[in-house]
Amino acid sequence: MKPHIEAREINAFVDDELDLASRLAMEEQTRQDVTLREQVEGLRQLREAIRRGADYHAAPAALRRRMASLTGTKPVAHSRPADVIVAAQRWIGWHPVVASFGLVAALIVTMNLAWLHSSHDSRLLDDVVASHVRSTLGQHLVDVASSDHHAVKPWLSSKLDFSPPVSELQIPDSKFLGGRVDYLDGHPVAALVYRQGAHIVNFFVWPSSGRDSSPEFSVGRGFQTAHWSQGGMSHWVISDLNAEEFERVVRAIQLVDGDR
Amino acid sequence: MTDDVDRRRFELLAMPHLDAAYNLARWLTHNDHDAQDVVQEALIRAMRYFGGFRGDNARAWLLQIVRHTCFSWLKENRPAERAFLDDTDNSVHDIAAPTADEPPSIAIRKADRMQINRAIAALPVVYREVLVLRELEDLSYNDIARIADVPVGTVMSRLARARGLMRDALTPIAQPMLRSVPRSMHAGRTS
Repeated sequence: MKPHIEAREINAFVDDELDLASRLAMEEQTRQDVTLREQVEGLRQLREAIRRGADYHAAPAALRRRMASLTGTKPVAHSRPADVIVAAQRWIGWHPVVASFGLVAALIVTMNLAWLHSSHDSRLLDDVVASHVRSTLGQHLVDVASSDHHAVKPWLSSKLDFSPPVSELQIPDSKFLGGRVDYLDGHPVAALVYRQGAHIVNFFVWPSSGRDSSPEFSVGRGFQTAHWSQGGMSHWVISDLNAEEFERVVRAIQLVDGDR
Repeated sequence: MTDDVDRRRFELLAMPHLDAAYNLARWLTHNDHDAQDVVQEALIRAMRYFGGFRGDNARAWLLQIVRHTCFSWLKENRPAERAFLDDTDNSVHDIAAPTADEPPSIAIRKADRMQINRAIAALPVVYREVLVLRELEDLSYNDIARIADVPVGTVMSRLARARGLMRDALTPIAQPMLRSVPRSMHAGRTS
């Protein structure tokens, strides 16, 4: 005799929300009961169809700006040193007499931009450290766990306007834990989380206008960080690993990123 | 000074969930303009109550405020939807059980974006909100219960009901008739 199973229990089973004992009982029952199996399968298909097909409405830029002004944060202006130099050169060409003044002015502008750029980087470093610490302290390490491996990438892609590289790293002792959406440098970013031995590694990636660069490693406040630009994306990696192991992780991430 | 620290903290904790806030508001109000207004109002409220926030699960905390703001807005501006707000869940338990002989539906697998969006939009608001929070935000039953301000058992019933309604909406009317055709005969014809 089969006990009657409530629809909400089958739903909770499909959502992986049953306690262990009930889940095991349900698994056992699913093996024996064809009808139940079909119901579970039907629900899974429905769930997948909804997740795949339903529109996710990301906040419009206008709302984001309004909210940013509400919290008093200014959107980050991206500096374009190259344009300034080109303009300066053209100006020098026009006025050879005051070329030296022009050169000095251009130098000052460039230095200021470099300084602005470095202060931007250090503020970003603060944010990256804060985000990493928050993720390791709280319960909110990942939004989507890697146990649902094929779900991580579509989930992140649906929440962001780009598709982050999602995959295991090809080095020993490394485990991909999952991903979450975080907020850095004035916009939402993908945070991919790895465990390397006993240490958590956060890898942030988002679109940016920077030119390609090789990883710049630094140590601060007990964390190893590396950042670089590649293919129009900014990359930041942070962890409390030792320097040698950290570098290995960064190289492995670059490999995964290059492969996609 | 403290004000600045609070703002910064608010920005770090709440702003990452702006998309989730807007997505929920957009699905509940059905349109962009009202959703933006609701989210703005909710965030202003959230900033005001930020002192009372204990620091765990900012997403659920913020969505709870957005949800509350949405429902106040609906009460005022969409009294027709309100009928469902007071809906008790007594009627829910029995209806949701799928018919025993229903095969995994090909129609559901093939349902396109428009059909799915339309079916979600047509759900009564209390079912729509649990479905959106579960399928689009991937929140746990506990978080949904906290956001919708109902017990977890109610979340379970509503979700089962919501999916039952979705399944019905996505299954063509011809489907029940096909079901009565014996399997062997059906297989013989197609192969």
